[in-house]
Amino acid sequence: MLATVLYEDGDHRWIMFGRDPNKPKGIIDTNQYLIQSGDEAILLDPGGIELFAPMLSAVLKYVPAEKITKMFASHQDPDIISSLGLWDQALPNAELYSPWLWEGFIRHFGMENTTYKAIPDEGMTIQLGRIQLQFIPAHYLHSSGNFHVWDAKAGILMSGDVGAALEDTDAPLWVDNMDRHAPKMKKFHQRWMPSNEAKTDWVRRVSQLNIQVMAPQHGRLFKPPHVQEFLNWFDQLPVGTAIR
Amino acid sequence: MSAPVFITAASISAELHQAMMEARGLALTAKNARALAVRAGSRTVGFRAITDFIEELASAIIDQSRVINGHAERLSVQAVEAWRTDMANQKFQWIRSQRPQHIFSIEKNIRACDDRVTALQHDLQQGLRNLIDQLEESRKHIRTANLIATSSHVEAATAGDFREQLEVIADNIRDTADRIGNHLNRANALLNQNHRERKAAC
Repeated sequence: MLATVLYEDGDHRWIMFGRDPNKPKGIIDTNQYLIQSGDEAILLDPGGIELFAPMLSAVLKYVPAEKITKMFASHQDPDIISSLGLWDQALPNAELYSPWLWEGFIRHFGMENTTYKAIPDEGMTIQLGRIQLQFIPAHYLHSSGNFHVWDAKAGILMSGDVGAALEDTDAPLWVDNMDRHAPKMKKFHQRWMPSNEAKTDWVRRVSQLNIQVMAPQHGRLFKPPHVQEFLNWFDQLPVGTAIR
Repeated sequence: MSAPVFITAASISAELHQAMMEARGLALTAKNARALAVRAGSRTVGFRAITDFIEELASAIIDQSRVINGHAERLSVQAVEAWRTDMANQKFQWIRSQRPQHIFSIEKNIRACDDRVTALQHDLQQGLRNLIDQLEESRKHIRTANLIATSSHVEAATAGDFREQLEVIADNIRDTADRIGNHLNRANALLNQNHRERKAAC
């Protein structure tokens, strides 16, 4: 599995895992993220059960297991968190931050040791080592209970399915041309995002952040000026429309 | 290829559930037999005594089936846990073979998982042995039911006008006992097959 350091400042790091050339056929490619600060680390959207072994193996190249004190699942989908039952054995003392709405559902993936930390609808801020992370509401984008992660110090927004494109595992890591990339995202956003109201509200809130990297859960990542270009594009895109 | 234990246990539970339903039918047959024996009067005194046995037997089979059913269900849940822990363990072994830099940090959890697999496998073996014993106990009930069916036929022969109806009841007892016996046989076969394959795999 490919691991890419997105940001590094002392012991504060963002690492992206994905583009696994050995992943089983038929499952979509996903981006997993690890944020480290001080003696703590958090896994963001740790992925599906099929990716657990290569993912843990890749993670242990960067950080010892006892430092991974937290996990985050933006929503309940299997590509996000169906590996939970295995992480539960690997990191028995970890906490899982996830929408309160999905607790009873996510527990179906198997949770004997992990502590579920329910994120309220309005979001919350947590301390990770020496930094603070904000869970920003992204309800209906696409899940009815959904959050993104904002690291103000690194200027990185983990944007879940917003900004996602389903591409091959050998696709470039970064968006280099919005005009060429937008068609790859259009159908996905129109089909998966059900609410124009939720979308507009999210664009308004996120536009106030100083985003240096926007990191979706599928496909390429965005840097300025493509972040703003994406927000403009998404703001104009009618969603919940791809019914044919 | 052998079915996972949790599927075997769930299948056994389903067989026992069917056996329990059949035993309820047997209890109903006993009630009909008693009513008929009362109507037939003094010529069916022997048959009337047998109906008490049938009712007791049906009740015993229902209770026993319920116990085994519950036991098999718990075993299935336990087997799922064992399977999941074993899957985690296999993935951990693969990760270990990759020798990531911080593998030492997870060794304690790998060992804990390994110990859990061993403990769960041990519990599973014990549970399967208990299940074999309980099924054998149930088969004794079926042998008794067949004896009762034979005695019922003998008693029916002296019941005059009621002979035909009592013979139907006796046949009913035998058929129901056979059906319960078949469910138990299938449960036993599932268990033995799994047991043999697990021993061969060791």
